[in-house]
Amino acid sequence: MNYKKILVAVDASENARRAVEYVGEIIGSSPDFHVTLLYVIRYAERDLFPSEEAWKSKKRQEKNEAIDVLDDLYNLLIKKGLEEKTLKKELIEIEDFSIAQAIMDYQQKKGYGTIVVGRRGMSKAEEFLFGSISNKIVHYAKDCAVWVIE
Amino acid sequence: MSKEVEKLVKKLRPNLSIGEYGRIFTDTTEFMKISYGDVIKLQGQHYLVLRDEAERSFGIEDPKYWVKRCIHLESGQRKILKLVFYEKFDLKLGDLAIPCYRSPRKEARILELVRGDKRFMQGISVPDSKGNIVRILDIVSGKRLDHHVFEIQKGHKDYFFHDFPGILEKFIDSCRAIKFLHDHKEIHGDIRRDHLWREYQSGQYVWIDFDYAYEFEENPFGLDIFGLGSLLIFLAGKQIYTGTNLDQLLDQDQVDITLEDKDFSLLYKNRIVNLKKLFPYIPEELNLVFMHFSQQAEIFYETVDEFLQDLEPCIGLIKKEANNEL
Repeated sequence: MNYKKILVAVDASENARRAVEYVGEIIGSSPDFHVTLLYVIRYAERDLFPSEEAWKSKKRQEKNEAIDVLDDLYNLLIKKGLEEKTLKKELIEIEDFSIAQAIMDYQQKKGYGTIVVGRRGMSKAEEFLFGSISNKIVHYAKDCAVWVIE
Repeated sequence: MSKEVEKLVKKLRPNLSIGEYGRIFTDTTEFMKISYGDVIKLQGQHYLVLRDEAERSFGIEDPKYWVKRCIHLESGQRKILKLVFYEKFDLKLGDLAIPCYRSPRKEARILELVRGDKRFMQGISVPDSKGNIVRILDIVSGKRLDHHVFEIQKGHKDYFFHDFPGILEKFIDSCRAIKFLHDHKEIHGDIRRDHLWREYQSGQYVWIDFDYAYEFEENPFGLDIFGLGSLLIFLAGKQIYTGTNLDQLLDQDQVDITLEDKDFSLLYKNRIVNLKKLFPYIPEELNLVFMHFSQQAEIFYETVDEFLQDLEPCIGLIKKEANNEL
């Protein structure tokens, strides 16, 4: 595995932004690294909406937000000195439950040697009820290093 | 309109006596306007409304205007009609507030999935004239399992060794029913003590009410599994024990028990989970299952399978222990 091929999992949260800033600080303008910003989007379920139109409108809104977040974080890394040719952004849409699994599948498929994720402070009760993407990646990721940024 | 309903009732159910004849509704959108004596007509079938259902908590009746108790005039059977009511509210679990949505669509889908499975309430869903998904539910002839257990007139030890193994076996089957939902990417969504019933005749345990839906989380099954754990602890204890009701509930020689934060529930901070401290004859292995739901837990069950792997061997252990104890 190429540890200099780095996959940064992001979303709209502040902790994702911190993770990206950290990567920018560490890597800066070093030419050997390749960084991909990955936004995995799992749309709200149809069940939550009274009408098809309300659901579709929410999905459009979520997708637009994700694109904006990716653009913003991409620009942040450019400002930190990363070159465009070493930087990629990717948005994938999933229907399955697990965002963590989608991140790990992507890492395996594309041969990333490092995964970077942010972690928000979560109580034990929240972790039980909702699960934690970063914990799942720490437990189950293979053939790579995992950086968890608090 | 009243005449029309009167004529209909007299034709289909001549022996039925009701005090007031109302209107016929084919569109159920404005469910607040539908009340006693009205008839809901769905796909040629007629349902006479008797009353709104109500939920009782803390001694207060909370009417559910979108849930109507009815008589199906063609068959004479009692039914519950759940009409479409979209709402979003915070489900309170201990200190946590979880955004929750009422979803007729989800409940209709699960009713279809579990058709013929006795572990779940049965019913069908049909659209009204405006396309609202109305769920027509069979009434479970039984009582809440927690009430049934609480009313068993025995001391804890006697209950635990004689009654609980059988209850646990059936409860495990109820857990498998929830696993069945999870295997089909569905969740129950509202596993509470008042949503598992015991049928009078067959003794079958039956899950009811599947209309709660949530925004996705990384572990979509966590909420259901926590519900199963809390229910298990209730069944094993025969009731809830809190730090304050202990001395009324236990024998005098048992009340000198030192409790720490870690002995209490992860979510409900006043509920004792470490039941072995109260009842030392509870097998360690079973208590360890309870402790996965305590404040000291570091590892959580992520699937019903994991939960059952630990729980299933406990039946044999309790039976074995019973031979030594009694």
